[in-house]
Amino acid sequence: MTVAPECAKVGVMSGPTGPTASLERDAARKQLVAALARVAGGDRGALQLLYRDTSAKLFAVCVRILRDEGEAEDVLQDVYTTVWQRAGTFDPARASPITWLVAIARNRSIDRLRSGAMAARTRTMEEADDVNDNAPNALAQIESLQEERRLTDCLGELEPRHAVAIRFAFIDGMTYDELARRMNVPLGTMKSWIRRSLLRLRECLER
Amino acid sequence: MSDEHATGSADGPPVAGEYVLGVLNAAERRAFEARMAQDPALRSEVEYWERRLGVLASELKPIDPPPRVWANIESALAARPAQSGFWHHLPFWRWAAIGSAAVAAASFVALAYIARVSTANEPLVATLQASGGQSRFVAAIDSGGRGLTIVPASLPDFGQRALELWLIAPGDHPRSLGLIELSRPVHIDLPNDLMPRVRPEATLAVSSEPPGGSPTGLPTGPVIASGKLTNL
Repeated sequence: MTVAPECAKVGVMSGPTGPTASLERDAARKQLVAALARVAGGDRGALQLLYRDTSAKLFAVCVRILRDEGEAEDVLQDVYTTVWQRAGTFDPARASPITWLVAIARNRSIDRLRSGAMAARTRTMEEADDVNDNAPNALAQIESLQEERRLTDCLGELEPRHAVAIRFAFIDGMTYDELARRMNVPLGTMKSWIRRSLLRLRECLER
Repeated sequence: MSDEHATGSADGPPVAGEYVLGVLNAAERRAFEARMAQDPALRSEVEYWERRLGVLASELKPIDPPPRVWANIESALAARPAQSGFWHHLPFWRWAAIGSAAVAAASFVALAYIARVSTANEPLVATLQASGGQSRFVAAIDSGGRGLTIVPASLPDFGQRALELWLIAPGDHPRSLGLIELSRPVHIDLPNDLMPRVRPEATLAVSSEPPGGSPTGLPTGPVIASGKLTNL
């Protein structure tokens, strides 16, 4: 497949903001919803469009969790064949297309990671330079600005170390054990950090 | 989209959030997924966290995958049989049955369908929804009330479980209308004794049952969707 360089990719970080960006994001989202509808109808061309517009984002998600490009390629292939089969279950009233796709990519990556096939692999936890833990403003593009701001604000209300743990968990797909070692706290402490943070986040997001 | 299902009481660990974050181990993930398959409220909660936390994924710089990935996907798809027949039209049904105007849209589509199969003036239809509000099936009664067509709208995977359709008239116990399928519309001839019960306000419900259907004649598994018959 030729990937047109000028095509608008979703989820580019640090994109422009303002009304125009918001309109563009809306249009991108509608385009993805339409593509998913056509994929549900068995349209391979639509799957190719979807792949063109979302694969770089999903690949980044897989690579980040799996820390192995070969594994990530396998999982990415699995993600899009899953999308091909399950596009009909996507419900635009319940999720944005990119949220749905990211969830599939993360679940597949995490399952691969936990499957034991990769158990011998030692993950280098220090390779965290491709995510900026102190730059909540880089949250961009995949959801409405309102949702981004709310999550950013609510993460900001957590104790900084707790917010960092939430980010490591989500972005890196770390288990409680790995998080505890990474942040050098007892396992029980990490569990209570995460659980309390989730409850606080929800409380804040519902405010 | 509503968050009402995610704001319920949170006694015990917020396990849906833990699941989405990815901190659970493999066994805990499987156990949670098994619970979620039976519990639409948990599924809603997972969707809530996927939506809320999903914005974190935009912190990652996109990485173009090598071209061989798409080539592999194409070969994998080529190995699958092409879709054909009525199934071809199903996505239209499904897409019509979801979204914010789910009931109206589903009823409209049901009307379009009934226009082809019946001449009834006031066709009876039902949109069967999961407890989370998701439209799962659309059902339409044939003109004359002798038969019923039920069409899947959104298709979660129920594995080896059978899906059984029930008619529950007001004040009556559930009466089985037989097994239905997730993958295609099913037409059911209504038994003579049940025809009088097929009227507005009667409920249609789908339960998950062991292969072959309920062994007792009454629903034994969880109800995955239900809805009332109404005149269009």
